Formats: sequence, structure tokens, C-alpha cells
Amino acid sequence: MPSWDEFQPFIVTGLALGGVYALSGVGMVVLYRTTGVLNLAFGAVGAMGALIAWQAINEWGWAEEPAYLVCVLFGGAVTLLYGLIFGPPLAGRDPLVKATATLGLALILLGTMSWIWSDKARSMILPTSTENFTVSDILVNYTQVLGLAFGVVVTVGTVLFLQFTKLGTAMRGLANDREITATLGVPVRRVEASAWLVSGLISGVAGLLLSNLVGLDAATLTFLVISSLAAALIARLSSVVVTLVAGLVVGLATALATPILSISEYRDMAPFVLATLALLWLSRKGHSISGRAV
Amino acid sequence: MRIKLVLGRSRQIVMLAALAVGFALFVSACGDDDDDGGGGGDKGSGFAGETGKQKASKCGLGNGKKASGEPIKLGAINTKQPGTDFTEIAKTAEAYFKCVNDNGGINGRPVQLVQQTEQTDPAQAAAAAKKLVETEKVAGIVGSTSIIECAVNHKYYEANGYYVIGSGISPECYGTSNYAAVNMGPRHSVTGATQYLIREGVKKLVLLQSKVPGTEYIEGGFLALAKQEGIPTESLAEAVPIQDANSVALKIVQAAGDGGGVVLNFTPPEALKILQAAAQQGLQDRVKWACSTPCNTDFLADALGTTFDDKLGVNAELSLVSIDEPDTNLYKEILKKYAPDIPLGSFSQFGFLEARIASQAMLGIEGDVNKESVNEAFKNIKDFKTDMLCKPYYYRDGPLHIPNNTDITVTPKEGSMVEKESCFEISDADAPIKRVRDIEKKEGNYTPVE
Repeated sequence: MPSWDEFQPFIVTGLALGGVYALSGVGMVVLYRTTGVLNLAFGAVGAMGALIAWQAINEWGWAEEPAYLVCVLFGGAVTLLYGLIFGPPLAGRDPLVKATATLGLALILLGTMSWIWSDKARSMILPTSTENFTVSDILVNYTQVLGLAFGVVVTVGTVLFLQFTKLGTAMRGLANDREITATLGVPVRRVEASAWLVSGLISGVAGLLLSNLVGLDAATLTFLVISSLAAALIARLSSVVVTLVAGLVVGLATALATPILSISEYRDMAPFVLATLALLWLSRKGHSISGRAV
Repeated sequence: MRIKLVLGRSRQIVMLAALAVGFALFVSACGDDDDDGGGGGDKGSGFAGETGKQKASKCGLGNGKKASGEPIKLGAINTKQPGTDFTEIAKTAEAYFKCVNDNGGINGRPVQLVQQTEQTDPAQAAAAAKKLVETEKVAGIVGSTSIIECAVNHKYYEANGYYVIGSGISPECYGTSNYAAVNMGPRHSVTGATQYLIREGVKKLVLLQSKVPGTEYIEGGFLALAKQEGIPTESLAEAVPIQDANSVALKIVQAAGDGGGVVLNFTPPEALKILQAAAQQGLQDRVKWACSTPCNTDFLADALGTTFDDKLGVNAELSLVSIDEPDTNLYKEILKKYAPDIPLGSFSQFGFLEARIASQAMLGIEGDVNKESVNEAFKNIKDFKTDMLCKPYYYRDGPLHIPNNTDITVTPKEGSMVEKESCFEISDADAPIKRVRDIEKKEGNYTPVE
């Protein structure tokens, strides 16, 4: 068993990754609560945005900042477009059907990325990844700080948005009952489009951060959505605050299992073990799933 | 009503969770396989005719006359599936044969390479071999690289009298009588990388490789060599694609400890994740770093920037593509003329070399060129010198073949790979290498490193 000193650096990596899991999870929960769609293409959209940014910087000679902006905007645009085209016809379908449809988008994007960029080794280093500071002998870079900070800021921002804005109230209304909310005169499609756009922009930010924290690789970034999904499931796809906490716990649990060599190989199952345990525990307690979207 | 609502939504959550688990299983199925090869490209190298001083070798007879008549059919089987595509190797071999066909062919006759692919499916690999042998009636097997083909088909080839010239991955490519690969495979490349670290004076050795079938085979040489040298070891495997590279980099550095060394055996993108994570956490100087052949690619060197310049020893089974030597110059000219879409690198070097060795052997056939004479010619190959290998390639009789058992170490420098250590013998602490050397000495194929 590693010593406490040896565990400490893994707390940093776990919190950074957990922050991005939380960020992604919040994006997924907001979309699910508003539209009923569990977006499995969240990671693929972010991955493609990051690869486009890489292309812009390395092949087209763009400056870094506009390329990063394109990454985020790409996430918003593709997700919004998908929502506008497929959202209305799928609105009345079972959540499983809606989720499976996004899996189709994920595979199309993954195939497109493989076709355009192949699987050669690439990297895109954010300026924040080269700036470091030390906390009791542990080197921390600012991308790791950003990972955690974005997770917290987006969660707090989402809670405030849902509680105190007109659009947020409309989203909460849709989450509770789509038909009644529509009969009250709420512009359902516009509210849903907003949710798609916000979720997409978050996927772009997450893609950018994860390309630095994990690596610029289409398949890896596409499937990192699984850890975020676990966080969202622990929050029963309803509470963004619980999603934040769950994302951090998933990141920490995975990272802290890494230096324990006897279980290190199996740490990839940590997100779903945690999700399963949480769901079982909540079921035993008889908690209602119809939670509030905060 | 309330209970019904709770149950209904619970069921939805469970169904979505089940879908998520299915998605996770799909992901694990998509994990890329570790392979031996990688890129090795060199965007900065020029073609012999343009910038090189050495004249390129000739392909075939080099007489500029088009070959005609009934083609001599050869066959190749390559893995082609998401994440693993070795068809570049056979395509380069085909490009070489096109050059031969434009230069007199094999004593006037053109060569045709029939290419099959498989998706790591034993039945498919067996069917592909059967099709080549029984339907296409190929005279020889040249240019194959597959994750499973050697294991599946070696007995079939033995029974039908085929002597395969290919590049290998699985143990059977290096442990059976009818295969002689131009590369040495991941096991021996890992051993070569380990030797580099031992020469660097490390106190502990850690091997990290992708968690795919065959990890026990690959770690064999690493463990045997460390045991002989009395160096403690840790052999670890990591599921790919790696999703937490920062933690993985920390883990292996901690496992190696101060004065330790780490050997990586991954495809270039996965190795890059770990090396980049190490650089971001300032770990590049905490231990000594080494890598097996797949890291020998300028894409990786370029992506690393200068952080690992002269700090990463990469075992390279073939020479650098940037050298100015006759065979390497011909290789670059052929790719430029016949296969411009194929990048310079280890994979295309394998294909070129396999086709060149086979062509030169066939040019020596007197009389009819058929399956018997072609395989007899292949089996009799001895002392085939090329600037792509440290020592001559050979086939000959033998219960196993590892003709490429001497190679070099390269290192990143300003975005390219450069030579760090000249030719050295892969350690015979590993039993298969010891056995091969004994056979080489007995048969007169042993060439000491100069």
C-alpha cells in the first residue's frame, strides 16, 4: 500500500479529472431534465471540437485563442443542430430510444474523426498546461485547476440560472411536465433549443480540457462520457449539485485506486461500481426519482 | 399514482444505466491493440535522387523494361479492423513489385500480390490462407502482418510447403519453422529497450504495456534480462485507451522510484498520452524512459516538443528512414512514385524489405518459377545484406527464426527521431534469442556486431 505522501499527487489528478466529469455530467443532466435526452454523443462532440482546434492551429496556422473558441462553438453548433433536427420527432419517444439515437451521432462523429485524422499521435497543449505551481512538493498545472474550477463554476452557475431566471424556470417546468408547461404558454422548442446549445457549449469546453488532461485522441475523448454518465446516474439524472459531488468522487476514486498496484488494473470499473452502489442504496431508502432540477 | 410514477421513472433510470453499461462494453471492445510497428515517419527526410548522396538500389533487374506474361502470384494476409490496420505493409510490398514489374520483372514475368484482410477472427484468417493457397494458387506468402495469422496458419503453411516472409506479432511468428519475419516483434523490442535502461544504470525496472492478450509473452524477455542483471522489476498492464494519463504517469514513476527506469510498450497515441502527462507533471527527469519500436515515429517526437529530447530511448528494429543509404533511398523513391499516400515509417519499411528480399530470392531461380522453386529460394536465403537492418537477413532450416535480433536505439531531438545508440545485440538472457544465436553459430549465420 502506498504511503500518504505517495497518494497526495493522485488527489490533484483525481480532482482535476473529477471536475471535468462533473462539468460534463452537469451538461448532460440539464439536457436530460429539459428534453428527456441522455446525450451519449457528448464526448464525441467535444473530441471533434478539440481535433478541429488542433487542425486550425497546426495545419491552418491559426492563433490558439480563436481555435479554442471554434472548439467550444463547434460543440454548441453541432449539438444544437442535432437537437433542432431530431429533438421534435423524438420528443414523444421513450428515453431509451432518444439515448440510442445520440449513440448513432456519437458513432458517426467517431467514424468521421477516424477518417479525417486517423489514429496518429497528436497533442494540443493549452498555455495553462505549461504553467505550474507547487503545493507541498506536488506540481499542479493550471489546466488541472481549470478542470476543477469549471466543474464548480458551471454547477453553481446552473443552479442560480435554474432558480432565478425566466428561462431556467421554464426548463424546470419542462422537467416536471412537458405538456402542462406547454399549455401554460412556455415556448417549449425555444427552451429545449437553449438546453441543447448550453449542453453543446459545455461539451466543447470539456473536450478542450480533456484533450490536455487525458490526451488528444478521438476514441478516448468520445468514451470518457462514461465516467460523466456515472456521475449523472448517481445524481439520478436530476440534481446538478449531486452530479458535481459524484463527478469529483468518481475522479478521486479512480485516481486513488491507481497507485495501489493490486487493484490498479480494475479501476476503470470504479465509476459504474459507484453508480450501482448509489442506485441500490437510494432504492433501499425508497427515495423518489422525480427530484428537482437543482 | 405516485408509486406508479416512481416505479416508472426508476425503470427508465435502470434502463438508461443498462444502456450505459452496454456502451461501456462497446468501448472495451474498441480498445486498440498493441502492435509492433508504429510510424517511424520522417517528414524531413529527402529522396535519394533529390537530396541524398548515395545512389538508390535498383528494383529487380533495373533494366526499365516492362514485364509481361503470366504473373507470378504471391499472397499476403493483413489485419484490418478499427484501431489496427496493417494493410499499409502489403500495399508497400505491392508498390515494390510494381517497380520490379517496370524493370524486367522476375526474369521477364510480372509479380502480382494477392491481398487478403482479416479482423482478428481465426476462422477468417484460416479461410484467407486457404483461398490464397487453394484458389489463387499463390507461389509464396510475402507481406503478411496479422495479430493472429501466424498462430492460426503456421501448421497449414508447413503442411503445404510455404516459407513465409512477413512481419510478425504473435509468438508463432518467431517460434516456428516456416516464418522468418523482418522485424523482431514486441517481446524482443521490449528487451532491447530494457537493455538501454540497464546501460543507463537504472536501479529498478518497470514495464508498462497495454492490457491485451499476449502480455505474458511480451514481458518474458524483460523479466529474464532483469533477473540475470539482478534488478528488481514491476510488470504492469493498462487498459487502452488510457483515460487518466496523469495518474498512470505518476503510478509508473512511483513504482520505478528514484533512479528507476520505465519501459513503455504501446501504440504511438497511447505512449504519447503517458509521456505528455509525465512532462506536464515534471516527471521526465525523475526516472529514465524507454519505449519499444512503435514509439519510433516522428509524429510522436514532434508532438512531444523538446521535453524528452535525449531523455527517451526508443528501440528501433529497422534503421531510421532519414539515412542516406541505397536501400533506404530506393524505399523512399518507390513510395514517392508508386504509393505516395503511404507514409514513411516502420510499417512501410517492413513491406518494402519483405518484397525486396522475396524479389531478390526469386531472381536467383533457375528454371520454372513456381510454388516449389519460390519457397525453395526463400528457404535458402542467406546473408541478405541491407542498410535497413543491422545484420544480414537469412532464412534457412531451423525450428524457429528471429533473423532480426540486432538493432539500434533512437531518441527524440527537436521533433525528429535520431540515432542514440548504434547496433547492439538483443540480450540472449531471453531463451528464444539464446536458442536462435546457437543455431546461427552452428549454421554459420551469426554476424557479430562491428
